[in-house]
Amino acid sequence: MSSRDGVPLLTIPPGPPTSAILARLEREVRELWVGLPGELPKSRVCMMNLVVAVTSRAIADRYTTVVDEVTATLPSCAIIVALESAAPTRPLDGSATAVCTPGSARAVCSERIRLDASGSVCARVASAVEALIAPEVPTTLVWLGPVHADDEVFTSMAGSAQRVILDSEYTSAASLLELARWSSEEEGRPAFADMAWTRIAPWQDLCARFFDDPRTEHAGAITRVTIHQASEAGAPLGSEGALLLGWLANRLGWRPERTGGALRVRRADGQDVQLQVGAVPRPEGVAPMALASLRVESSTGGVALMGTIDRELASGAEMSGKTPDADVLTWRLDVSGQAVIEQRVRLQANKGARVLERTLHRPMFDATLVGAVQFAEHFFEDGGVVR
Amino acid sequence: MTRTENPLRRGLADDRTIDPCAVVIFGASGDLTKRKLMPGLYNLAVSGSLSGGVAVVGVARREKSTEDFRNEMRGAISKFSRRQPIDEAVWSDFARRVSYVSGTFEDTTTYERLAQHLEELDKERGTAGSRLFYLAVPSAEFGTIAGMLREAKLVRPPVRSGGGPWTRMVIEKPFGHDLVSARALNDTIASVFDESQVFRIDHYLGKETVQNLLVFRFANSLFEPLWNREHVDHVQISVAEDIGVEGRGKFYEATGVARDIVENHLMQLLCLTAMEPPISLSADSVRDEKVKVLRSLRPMAPTQVPDNVIRGQYARGFVRGDEVPGYRGEPDVAPTSRVETYLAMRVFVDNWRWGGVPFYVRAGKRLARRVTEIAVTFKKVPHGLFRAPDGGITPNVLAMRIQPDEGIALRFISKEPGQQTILRGVAMDFRYGAVFGSNTPEAYERLLLDAMRGEATLFTRRDEVEEQWAYMDHVFAAWAREGNTPPPLYAAGSWGPEPADDLLARDGRRWRRP
Repeated sequence: MSSRDGVPLLTIPPGPPTSAILARLEREVRELWVGLPGELPKSRVCMMNLVVAVTSRAIADRYTTVVDEVTATLPSCAIIVALESAAPTRPLDGSATAVCTPGSARAVCSERIRLDASGSVCARVASAVEALIAPEVPTTLVWLGPVHADDEVFTSMAGSAQRVILDSEYTSAASLLELARWSSEEEGRPAFADMAWTRIAPWQDLCARFFDDPRTEHAGAITRVTIHQASEAGAPLGSEGALLLGWLANRLGWRPERTGGALRVRRADGQDVQLQVGAVPRPEGVAPMALASLRVESSTGGVALMGTIDRELASGAEMSGKTPDADVLTWRLDVSGQAVIEQRVRLQANKGARVLERTLHRPMFDATLVGAVQFAEHFFEDGGVVR
Repeated sequence: MTRTENPLRRGLADDRTIDPCAVVIFGASGDLTKRKLMPGLYNLAVSGSLSGGVAVVGVARREKSTEDFRNEMRGAISKFSRRQPIDEAVWSDFARRVSYVSGTFEDTTTYERLAQHLEELDKERGTAGSRLFYLAVPSAEFGTIAGMLREAKLVRPPVRSGGGPWTRMVIEKPFGHDLVSARALNDTIASVFDESQVFRIDHYLGKETVQNLLVFRFANSLFEPLWNREHVDHVQISVAEDIGVEGRGKFYEATGVARDIVENHLMQLLCLTAMEPPISLSADSVRDEKVKVLRSLRPMAPTQVPDNVIRGQYARGFVRGDEVPGYRGEPDVAPTSRVETYLAMRVFVDNWRWGGVPFYVRAGKRLARRVTEIAVTFKKVPHGLFRAPDGGITPNVLAMRIQPDEGIALRFISKEPGQQTILRGVAMDFRYGAVFGSNTPEAYERLLLDAMRGEATLFTRRDEVEEQWAYMDHVFAAWAREGNTPPPLYAAGSWGPEPADDLLARDGRRWRRP
């Protein structure tokens, strides 16, 4: 995906010039909105530019469905770019399509542009995208490959976006850390978001409920946090788990310390917090290293609190005409001397399109994520803590 | 109310706490419970918005077991929830929190059993002593229930500082039928509950597009400078329904459109359109500004009412191609009924911002289309620079559509491409459904959640209600003087009676056809 492998940027690709290809694409886009006799009138709606960069044409083909699902509810100018930087150089190829949702009187349509670049042409893609995006609306870049801050293709494409989204669960924690560092290095760089962070949002809300008034003091008195992820024993801690721990630590003012290389976490009052990470078997269809459970223990004023969230792991697929088969969380709060409260909460569907859609709905800049990533870095550095 | 802040809530999408509580619905066998309240609560459970310590108790006259009540509610949710099909995992969890207490509202033993049941819920379900009493019953029963709740020691004083168990009451309109009865009702409620504990529902305020009025006006710098008498020619607010009284003839005979729609929903839309920017979004800041608008409404002497207020009643006609009966042909409606099913008014807000700008408001049943909108018509350009062979330059109009097809459209003038300068009105059209999708929460979901959180911004305050009635009482007094004059008829499926068109025509204007 990058030009780091030494491909010269000024190589002239064979075939027509890129500008001619772009002119054809622009013409195709214009023609999309010309009504034909007998056709339902189309309304071009564009809330944002959604630029999706993937590492191969095959992935671009697969991800097109996800993009179409997202633009059905968030109408956008979608540009899907396949960047095959290691492949032989071919002329830029592209096509434009209107993706419409039928309405009562008019069809609501997004435009979807597909660009295929290979070899040295990848270096030209950012300028091509720049020419094709709709003006006056924000641009989000969804980068589904590994992030390297010295990759000029990445930096030039990210540079014209207001936000860059990745999915650290499927790329790597290292990519998330790299993106977070790059984003904060200079003022004016795009904000960043992580779909793994979106997936743990319900866990955060349910975890916060353990400490809602009148149990708020217990938040400062946590003694132990145990999480389980769906993986084999010995696997590294996944993004979801690390981000959840990072969020807890950041919010509660915990400090990381290394004693003889081992990571220790201390509360704001200096007391130790025991962190334990374990593994549970991963059913088919469940994302590797998905969060499976959280247990938080706290004690203050002679009152013990134990909050647990257990996930019934499922594929997250929606069954046609039936209840969605997304996961169910069981939330349980046990405070000594009080009734145990239990609640079951359906996780929102884990399908790629829905997760991306929820990520796009989140605020552009998320200071809580920045703080969580800073702390999560310690867990990533700690390596294979899953037992 | 001050509370210790939960550090884990900061930065979350939903940073507001939902207290554990028991939601007690009086009138649990009624239509509102089945159509709106239970589906709303279930939808909140599906979205994960209900805390684990929330329980729901139905109270009604009919004898039935909790199991029967749950089954009945499941049927209602299957029919009326926007989330289909029922999510079995969420339903089974939600159903465990639903229970039923039978008894008449006048019987002290009903409240004794309710009190005992609520104590058990505190222990078993962690409802923490907090109660949200939802009175889904006719307003005539508000006083009885409030008094009995007090007698049964089920009403705690308001929580002034810190947390702790709370008691709140939610009531549904009508809040009286004129100023005197509204005051009497408010006094009765005030003898039991502090005003801070009373949540009066006007479900229009729970609609996303109504809430967006404040965002549109006060989060965009473009329009607010134009939002005054210098630039606005007039404002039209329409609440049009294409349905008739739908089996509610008896109710409608006692209310009419003035009391059913104009006094509450339409007045609220007028307030949100005309109000000054509040100093914050706190409940009292917003409601203070709305009350100022109501107090600025120019009162009408009885002799001025005929010139400014037009009544109408629908006659037989065609709606969406179907022949429909006239109002007097509806079940439970008197064949000589003089009840209005249509009302149009010319209203003036006598303040610095709006002096001299007419607000034309109308509401009616069996009109041509179902539409609720607020349309702001700006003044014409001061000089006709362009030769416009097609009839001159039409003024800019900003139309905010509340329902259906929620959205905002701005009409402006453009040059038609070609050698000649031909001017055409065009529209920039923003549709909520197209941009944000159509699966938005229903008004009752937001309002139930806000009541549980103790956030009263979207509920009407006592003085608002009384000011609304005070204004409408001028109209009612004039009608009373008119005696037996029947309202003019309009054909079902039309846009109202002819005198309503004359109301605007006298000012050189005409109603929009939204």
